[in-house]
Amino acid sequence: MDHIEHLEHTESPANMKKQIWNTFYVLLVLTVVDIALYFALLSSHSIYKNILFVFLGLVKAFYIVSVFMHMKFERKFLASIIILPMLFICFLIWLALTEAGYTFDSRLF
Amino acid sequence: MSNTATLSTDNKQTWGGGKSPLSISYGKLMMWVFLLSDAFTFSSLLVAYGFVRFTFTTSLPNAIVKPFSHLSHTFTEEMQKAGLFVTERWPSPELVFNHFPFLHGIHLPLMFVSLMTFILIFSSVTMVLAVEAGHRMAKKEVEKYMLWTIIGGAAFLGCQAWEWTNLITEGASLQNNPFGPTAFAALFFIVTGFHGTHVLSGVILNIVIYINVINGTYEKRGHYEMVEKVGLYWHFVDLVWVFVFTFFYLI
Repeated sequence: MDHIEHLEHTESPANMKKQIWNTFYVLLVLTVVDIALYFALLSSHSIYKNILFVFLGLVKAFYIVSVFMHMKFERKFLASIIILPMLFICFLIWLALTEAGYTFDSRLF
Repeated sequence: MSNTATLSTDNKQTWGGGKSPLSISYGKLMMWVFLLSDAFTFSSLLVAYGFVRFTFTTSLPNAIVKPFSHLSHTFTEEMQKAGLFVTERWPSPELVFNHFPFLHGIHLPLMFVSLMTFILIFSSVTMVLAVEAGHRMAKKEVEKYMLWTIIGGAAFLGCQAWEWTNLITEGASLQNNPFGPTAFAALFFIVTGFHGTHVLSGVILNIVIYINVINGTYEKRGHYEMVEKVGLYWHFVDLVWVFVFTFFYLI
């Protein structure tokens, strides 16, 4: 049993505290940008506006997962185990929105 | 590092047993897998919201109410008369979420929810600082940051309770919605309620960990990994809020 040893802990870098605060500022700025864009684009109903907000949400999610949840410093294999299954969600979104498009049409006519 | 070298050159050694191939403890791996399943649950709720939202025409542009203008007691009725709150159209979030505590009678669109988002992000930061202090075995610092995290979580829950009360007083419920389609209020209460339940259980877990830290349980154990595990859950709750915020308040 002698080699059931320590887990080789994925080390945090020495400047972890700095990285944490930088991530906080990024999240803060992105949230303010979100609100500013909401009011700047209030009269627009373009689909690109929605895509922009979702994109900004995904950027925030990336920072939370990679730094706050430490994913950046874990094995790549673990990251794929957790992140790749989320592709199913993209499929679900595509299915749901296609179907919703037909429901929208049936409301109009 | 040497870990990665082992992974690429000697596969047998990595997966041969006797050590964790992912270089992660059992508990943390299981927390990740749980979070993945929870992410699916939240995704299906948000996709359901997206479906319903997509079947409605978007709101009319609001040219009547400007930010910081006077907010009368009959605001909802006025909006209904102006055709901005009708059952055929999805309402504009800025007209629904426009109240702020102690600033009664002023139209403050999305200001309160921005504050809530800020509180949650900040409590996420204090959580990750607690984890970082745990790595250095700095008991006092872990205590301090855990306490701030608990306060942040409780503040968020208080804000949500205030917002719910406000909307319920105006007549919104699972079956009724003065702002437009019934599904809008129903989905809002279900999704934010589900998220709020997660925040509540997160706060309870944080309190348990906080008590353990004070009692020196992890000091005796030699590591603060429990803080990391609960931290993962807490960040996930923050992560979900990013998307709830985007879909309910911005789009």
